[in-house]
Amino acid sequence: MRPRDLPSLVLALSGDALPDFQREVRPLLADRCFACHGPDEEARKRGLRLDTFDGATATLKSGRRAIVPGDLAASEMARRLTTDDDRRAMPPETLHRPLSTHERDTLLRWIESGAKYETHWAFVPPQRAPLPDVRDAAWCRDPLDRFVLAPLEADGIAPAPESDRATWLRRASFALNGLPPTPEETAAFLADPLSGAHERQLDRLFASPRYGERMAADWLDVARYADTFGYQSDGECRTWPWRDWLIGAFERDLPWDQFLREQLAGDLLQNATREQQIATAFNRLHRQTNEGGSIDEEFRQEAIADRVATFGTAFLGLTVECARCHDHKYDPIAQSDFHRLGAFFGAIDEAGSYPYATGALPPPTLRLPTPEQETELARRGENVAAAETALGEAHAAATTHLEEWLASGATPVVPTTVMPTPVMPTPTLKEGLDGGAPGPSGSATALDGDHGPTFGAPPFRRCDPLTVRLLVHCPDAKVRAAVLHTSHFTIESDPQGFELLIEDGHLAWRVVHVWPGSAAAIRTVEPLPLGRFVEVVASYDGSSRAVGMRLWFDGAPVATEIVRDHLDGVAATRTLQVGWRDRDVGLKGGAADELSLFDCVLTEVEVAELHAPGALAATVTAARAVSADGAARALLAEWFAAREPVVQAAAERLRTARGAWQELHDALPELMVMEATPHPRPAFVLTRGRYDDPDRSRPVAPDGAIAALLPFDPVWTHDRRGLADWCTDRRNPLVARVAVNRLFAQCFGRGLVETQENFGMQGDPPSHPQLLDWLAVDFVESGWRVQALLRRLLLSATFRQQSSVPASARRDDPRNRRLARGPALRLSAEMVRDQALHAAGLLALRVGGPSVKPWQPPGLWEDAGATGSYAPDVGDDAHRSSLYTFRKRTAPPPNLLLFDAGSREQCLVRRGATNTPLQALVLWNDPVFVETAQALARRVTAEVSAEVSSEHENGHTALARLRLTQAFRRLAGRAPADAELGALEALWQRERVRYQADPAAARAVAGDAVAPAAPGVAAATETAPEVAARAELAALTLCCQTLLASDAVVMVR
Amino acid sequence: MNPFDAAAFPALDRRAFLGASALLLGRAALAAIDDGGVAGRAPAPRPHFAPRAKRVIYLFQSGGPSHLETFDWKPELKARHGEPLPDSVRRGQRLTGMSGNQSLLPLAGSFTPFRQHGACGRFVSDLLPHTAAIVDRLCIVNSLHTEAINHDPAITFFCTGHQQAGRPSMGAWLSYGLGSLNDNLPAFVVLVSKDASRDQPLYSRLWGSGFLPSEHQGVQFRAGREPVLYLANPDGVSSAARRSMLDALDGIERAQQESLHDAEIGARLAQAEMAFRMQTSIPEATDLVGESDATFELYGEAARTPGTYAANCLLARRLVERGVRFVQLFHQGWDQHGGLPGGISNQCRQTDQASAALVLDLEQRGLLEDTVVVWGGEFGRTSYCQGAMTADDYGRDHHPRCFSAWLAGGGIAAGHAHGRTDPLGYNIEEGGVHVHDLHATLLYLLGLDHEQLNFKFQGRYYRLTDVAGEVVPGLLA
Repeated sequence: MRPRDLPSLVLALSGDALPDFQREVRPLLADRCFACHGPDEEARKRGLRLDTFDGATATLKSGRRAIVPGDLAASEMARRLTTDDDRRAMPPETLHRPLSTHERDTLLRWIESGAKYETHWAFVPPQRAPLPDVRDAAWCRDPLDRFVLAPLEADGIAPAPESDRATWLRRASFALNGLPPTPEETAAFLADPLSGAHERQLDRLFASPRYGERMAADWLDVARYADTFGYQSDGECRTWPWRDWLIGAFERDLPWDQFLREQLAGDLLQNATREQQIATAFNRLHRQTNEGGSIDEEFRQEAIADRVATFGTAFLGLTVECARCHDHKYDPIAQSDFHRLGAFFGAIDEAGSYPYATGALPPPTLRLPTPEQETELARRGENVAAAETALGEAHAAATTHLEEWLASGATPVVPTTVMPTPVMPTPTLKEGLDGGAPGPSGSATALDGDHGPTFGAPPFRRCDPLTVRLLVHCPDAKVRAAVLHTSHFTIESDPQGFELLIEDGHLAWRVVHVWPGSAAAIRTVEPLPLGRFVEVVASYDGSSRAVGMRLWFDGAPVATEIVRDHLDGVAATRTLQVGWRDRDVGLKGGAADELSLFDCVLTEVEVAELHAPGALAATVTAARAVSADGAARALLAEWFAAREPVVQAAAERLRTARGAWQELHDALPELMVMEATPHPRPAFVLTRGRYDDPDRSRPVAPDGAIAALLPFDPVWTHDRRGLADWCTDRRNPLVARVAVNRLFAQCFGRGLVETQENFGMQGDPPSHPQLLDWLAVDFVESGWRVQALLRRLLLSATFRQQSSVPASARRDDPRNRRLARGPALRLSAEMVRDQALHAAGLLALRVGGPSVKPWQPPGLWEDAGATGSYAPDVGDDAHRSSLYTFRKRTAPPPNLLLFDAGSREQCLVRRGATNTPLQALVLWNDPVFVETAQALARRVTAEVSAEVSSEHENGHTALARLRLTQAFRRLAGRAPADAELGALEALWQRERVRYQADPAAARAVAGDAVAPAAPGVAAATETAPEVAARAELAALTLCCQTLLASDAVVMVR
Repeated sequence: MNPFDAAAFPALDRRAFLGASALLLGRAALAAIDDGGVAGRAPAPRPHFAPRAKRVIYLFQSGGPSHLETFDWKPELKARHGEPLPDSVRRGQRLTGMSGNQSLLPLAGSFTPFRQHGACGRFVSDLLPHTAAIVDRLCIVNSLHTEAINHDPAITFFCTGHQQAGRPSMGAWLSYGLGSLNDNLPAFVVLVSKDASRDQPLYSRLWGSGFLPSEHQGVQFRAGREPVLYLANPDGVSSAARRSMLDALDGIERAQQESLHDAEIGARLAQAEMAFRMQTSIPEATDLVGESDATFELYGEAARTPGTYAANCLLARRLVERGVRFVQLFHQGWDQHGGLPGGISNQCRQTDQASAALVLDLEQRGLLEDTVVVWGGEFGRTSYCQGAMTADDYGRDHHPRCFSAWLAGGGIAAGHAHGRTDPLGYNIEEGGVHVHDLHATLLYLLGLDHEQLNFKFQGRYYRLTDVAGEVVPGLLA
């Protein structure tokens, strides 16, 4: 079991060039060693870390050193790499990734040559390298071409010849507009003799409304954008306004740094515009659940983790999520880094689930009025303000009135003995609470926590003043108990309306739209007295504000603190229950009695009167006394003002004004966005990433990102805006590289770093590192301009190359890493469909708006038991760009899914491009493709009209050839080759004969009216030419279908 | 004897197998398109060691069937009916938000009697007479456990090995790892019962390909005119016309290939040819008309109605006969939070006979020895009652800490029972089988080492079993 004879091995190796650490050595170390000997301290074995020079060369406990630079014989690692002893060999067999001989020798040569470490290339800020010298400078159209050509020349490889204009235009059109050029556009380009023709085509493509849509289509995958929440019941999440923001951002050519900044922190920018707030919905597009019984904190942590992971993948090109449970095994991302990033994204007021029963969106949300609605809302807002002023004046007048009255000693102008009457019929409520337990007024209701009285929903809007009175007996200190409420409780964000709860022994009083993000709530400073009946009175003044809420115990006001003060939507009641709520904790062992509800705010003296009759009269007497103190007068003044008819009329007008404002406001469309909360929950490192195991000794705050990439500058704010500053700082090594690589991939089908989603140590190294860096630096220095970069890429000589090369060249570089030929890529799912619609003249071009539901096979949603049923749109909406197709996460559109579109359940930066039989079935049989083939056949039939004699057989054939050629041009962007046209023509001839013999089939394929026929003309009366014409159209339709599934159409080459 | 000796498995026709894999390998290699494909290791689709089975039929009972009314007999629970769940049993473990706030958690004994059956003398509930009759062919596991407590994460975990979306499903891993056994049907087919009560939805991610190439995603076969989406030609397009189109496509693609030299072109044409074959082979496979009366008698009359659980069991047999690698049935309706006695009786009535018939039918046809059949759901149910308990009614909440499933077929220890729960059926006392363990065992049966079957995505090697899972010898023959 002796190691191999190292000196002789080294001798054998000594002739080779030194291994490149970045390209050859580190990828091996990362892949085979770092899982046990990397940055993750907890998982580190034998105290050995091989990701740093110091770690690798340190003397271990065993006394040995893994690496002694330059000395193989002394290096334990060399010994382990070469031993025959399975127990000692590294990497261990259990890894199932043995080193090849070449890989092992690479490591040995590296150790022998001194084991030099370099910082991972992607973690060092990019530098602009000098342009390489090339022999064929004339070939280069852009500086980037020099970086491509230089290594090709060094290896004696010639770039591929320039492609023809039609090919270039089709590529550029898909890259920028997601659609092929029309034959007219191609013809105009081919006929443009002046210099700058390519540039002018790009001008046109950038100016097209299709540009914003096409750019957005890719980013939707990254943002995991969908129209439903995902998870179990998968309700609609109404996020399309963000998608429209996205389209607009690209149309405006928003610089990339600003694009990032607005999505991360648009709400925190100075004077944030509505658009900038909309942009932040990027962080709310993750899945959310409302499955009954879900534990909110579990899913709140999932949401935070998803935001962090998406941020990391989208902008940093890192697998930050790997550090959720432990330190990253490859990259310098500590577990605390992950959770610190979580502190940025968790600082919004959210429950973790979305409401089940109420259908409300989970806050924070932004209302989105139209300009007309905005004007109307402002008008109604002014009415509210005016009514508030009027009420204030009425109050003041009433107070003056009271002073005069008191001074005069005259008869009171308001009745002094009549209390407000409860609006909820007391007998019902009283009977409902009778039984079981002795109560202050006879028989109270005993509560077991799981059952209790239920009444009909009380009428209540958030503009309505309200007072609730209830005798509550709480036997012991409760962490939580439902005392009185108006809502169901499937999950914690469900309650709506008003409710009294015991929380940690204190009494809480809430008026709620969605808890906690949209609610007004107060809580007693002192605990609720235990072991006896307490007369609880809770009032709310209809202002939607916490200051308008009060609590009394036994007739006396109690001190409260504000818990939430952000009520922003309807607070509808659905029931009225006392002492229990299904799935909530009830008032176990307690009792309740004497419930009454008032549609006004009871004044303090009235509450006292309720508790001890006579209090009101006593106060009047006291206030009228010559020696009256201020307190008695104030009490009386409050009561007097509240019951004075003029004041009551003013209050009623205020309620009406608020109601009118809310009626409009609360029904406005809204969008989930980010909004910093004044109540951020404390954040900690979560042990093993578990939501229910925060390590309280390791609190985290949003005061840093990933220090190993770039330390957090003290001038940056401790919020998402500061994080955006960290990202877009010139010293950030990743953000510009990742963006540039992404745009490069959009044009070339593949990034310079092929693993677009991972620039970390386990990602692929760039094929052209200096080019990537040069482009990144230039991108930043020229203002992060997206269109300018795309223009440069598309005009480059590299992009203009032909993609067809001799088989040998393809074999030598199957993935075109050298860029010695032009790009060839399969169209995306969206492009496949949109291209067909466009060629057929069916594509509806309207930009933006709610997502649409084109036809899909019936029953897909219903089969799975999903919520809702799919009602396909008709008319234009059936033919909108696929960007707008409604995306239900648990049942995605199958024709897109089959072309690798993904379910949008998580961030995706790179799609696959598979090739399956089911794709052929879609192109043949999905009605949208059947319909487009038919429409295209009709279109080209109309375009190429019967100038050629229709009597002569050859005339028909010639016409068919022209039509087939036109269809080919419309789909493939070029004229067909002879062999292609020949194959199509043969099909046309065969099928024309077949359909002539089978008019019913011809009618089914070609549609009804071939030529405008007189209404009411039955098929039986059709003339022979009509039958023949339909057969020809049917045959042409089949030819178009054939083309739809052909390489020339589904690939862009 | 070396259990891995291929000779011990006469059903493994190695040549036929390799032939099929080579065929798929060819296709996969052709289909590996030369752009944008997610980088990953594409292992040759063949097993790591001699398999004990070639295919799997997974009878997924969605909603969480109660182990306490099916396979885990708890006389003590019955005896202590109505007593509160002891804290010593609950041990502070989390409950769902549905019953977690209940003031009382009263124990609920099973309403249905259990009896011993077969030579093995296993206790099976009276609700499952047909399953009870084949108990000697089954390996019953009473000690499964999972991590999730709500349906979505739990069923996602069971079907993909992870609670969150994005991972490949079991069938996708098998398709990726082993390839297809046939050339005109998908490797992974999903069947969803139409006669089930749809209490909990299903999601396409449960049979999705996650980050694996999408060709590995499960293909759902549906009852009706079009068993597979987009399979049927539109009106007026005959099979002959389709053939004619393919011939023209062949001509066009040849021309393209000659000028471009890209193998992808031929690969796409080959996929179109397969699509054409599927237009014949799928209707043939799904048409039950040719099945004998004896067969329908075996599966039950419901099997004559397409889309029922019984019809899907029969269809599953037809599909594995034709070389489908993994057939996964989903039958919803097992989520008995309340009204459990009535609900579960109905569920059992719908599924019992056909589940047992499938095992017998496979056996008669010599397919059982190299097919694994699995029956089970995403979690079990609580020993205590959720909601109101009356003299003849109760409900049970979700329970991830223990639940039951059964396996039968190739490599499975027939007539055995594995694992034991405590006398109240709340915690596992012995032989716990985690979801990852079950996955590892299933892969093992198919000749795959769950630690070696991986795919590099975003810089990490992912497995069906994540970073855990052990093959469970106790389940193996």
